Amino acid sequence: MEAYEPVARPVVQVMRPSARAETPPVEELRPKISVRNLNFYYGAFRALRDISLDIPEKKVTAFIGPSGCGKSTLLRTLNRLYSLYPDQRAEGEVILDGENILTTKQDVSLIRAKVGMVFQKPTPFPMSIFDNIAFGVRLFEHLSRREMEERVEWALTRAALWAEVRRKLHQSGNSLSGGQQQRLCIARCIAIRPEVLLLDEPCSALDPISTARIEELIHELKSEYTVVIVTHNMQQAARVSDYTAYMYLGELIEYGPTDAVFIKPKRKETEDYITGRFG
Amino acid sequence: MSAVASPAASAISPSNPLYRSRKRVNVFMLSVSGLALVFGLFWLVWILGTLFYEGGYALTRAALYFEMTPPPGADGGLANAIAGSAVLIAVATLLGTPVGVLTGTYLAEYGKRGWIAPATRFINDVLLSAPSIVIGLFVYSVYVARVKHFSGWAGALALALIVIPVVVRTSDDMLKLVPNSLREAAAALGCPTWKMILSVTYPAARTGIVTGILLAVARISGETAPLLFTALNNQFWSLNLNEPMANLPTVIFQFAMSPYKDWHRLAWGGAALITLTVLALNILARSLFRRKD
Repeated sequence: MEAYEPVARPVVQVMRPSARAETPPVEELRPKISVRNLNFYYGAFRALRDISLDIPEKKVTAFIGPSGCGKSTLLRTLNRLYSLYPDQRAEGEVILDGENILTTKQDVSLIRAKVGMVFQKPTPFPMSIFDNIAFGVRLFEHLSRREMEERVEWALTRAALWAEVRRKLHQSGNSLSGGQQQRLCIARCIAIRPEVLLLDEPCSALDPISTARIEELIHELKSEYTVVIVTHNMQQAARVSDYTAYMYLGELIEYGPTDAVFIKPKRKETEDYITGRFG
Repeated sequence: MSAVASPAASAISPSNPLYRSRKRVNVFMLSVSGLALVFGLFWLVWILGTLFYEGGYALTRAALYFEMTPPPGADGGLANAIAGSAVLIAVATLLGTPVGVLTGTYLAEYGKRGWIAPATRFINDVLLSAPSIVIGLFVYSVYVARVKHFSGWAGALALALIVIPVVVRTSDDMLKLVPNSLREAAAALGCPTWKMILSVTYPAARTGIVTGILLAVARISGETAPLLFTALNNQFWSLNLNEPMANLPTVIFQFAMSPYKDWHRLAWGGAALITLTVLALNILARSLFRRKD
């Protein structure tokens, strides 16, 4: 079992956009998730059309595009969350660590524990702050009370929430503000130490300060996690991601290093969207 | 730009005929709904007034709670009927609640595909509105007629059959009010469905489900018809569920139909007691529901 490091220092730190300067092309990196010829259907409606892309390990990949283009749908195939709903189905391959999770015999719970997800709206469970974090951990680990307390502190510290809630761990998770709730959900997600983090517009309901904290957090997390973020906010994609995929009407239009996509897009559609000349 | 001319003058003024006719309709509808309210409340207040006018004195006498139902002409109370009702209601609730909550859980959490859930929901709605005398006759024919005697069990079973559809409906509705985002969040942590229901959706829907159970209890507290065919009645103190059992609604029915003045007074007292209990349960249910917000 790999050890995790309790991080005590504040998460706030200066971002270094220059660190991205030497981002290599996607093909040269080890992919954590490979999507091949993925089609997705809501009933009869085809929401994704032949998507193929590789999501590199320990990098931040952003999906951008106008509303309804399928970016959230694509995200929800990566942990098979769609399979909660009987009328939704995916065809093709989503290969996580060499195994196609769409057809695998492996229990979907294990896949979802390995691929954590944070949603657009904060979703604290109706229980205490402590239990919100402990809930997921208890699903896969038997920890002593002491170990659990350490784990909760570690997760909350990483999510930059510990200082604000350390004195009220046994209050309801619903008593927190929206931004705090969202960081609680991120803490809950990383507490079980997944390998991939899926973030579905995690900042859309947050104020700029909370947004900045979460972006800093994403920057920190990518040393250990493969992060995939869906965002409506192009500045955010440019700030936090190493790779960017632009989607439109269920198709992947362009995919590559973020700098290249934003500075010199290959396709005219991408350029129009990024420069705001779209539609 | 198209060449459509701007409207000459603003139409927004107090003398605008459209605006005035809208105001007239408003006044008319408001008066009609106010009258409807007064009409409904009038009968309700009358019923409650009569009940407490006639039964109020009996309620204040300790004998009502501590003495057995008397023969005509003697003094007595409703102790055996109160105890019998309490036992019947308790057993019926214990039988009906788990079945109801589990069925509601199936409908809301698992019944997403196939025809079983919609069919169950439909049948449950039919049961919900079935006349209670039908339930009484049903239990009479399948249970009482076979064992050849009336019994507390039969009464509790009939009441449980009334509890179940109420609890199924409210549990189903309350669980469906839990946002799907919570279910998704739990699933995304790798949580199996059963665990998600126990730890996330039940706590989120708890007050609603408890409210439904309380309302079901309130509903069966006053049911007479199903008990006439099942638990029947008992002059004496008995908590044996294998024997006919005294209960408030049947005693009220029997005493109210009698020609004796003192039986009438006890019947009024019993009626007022049931009404107060149901009122208390409703207030409890409401306050529980409010505390959630």
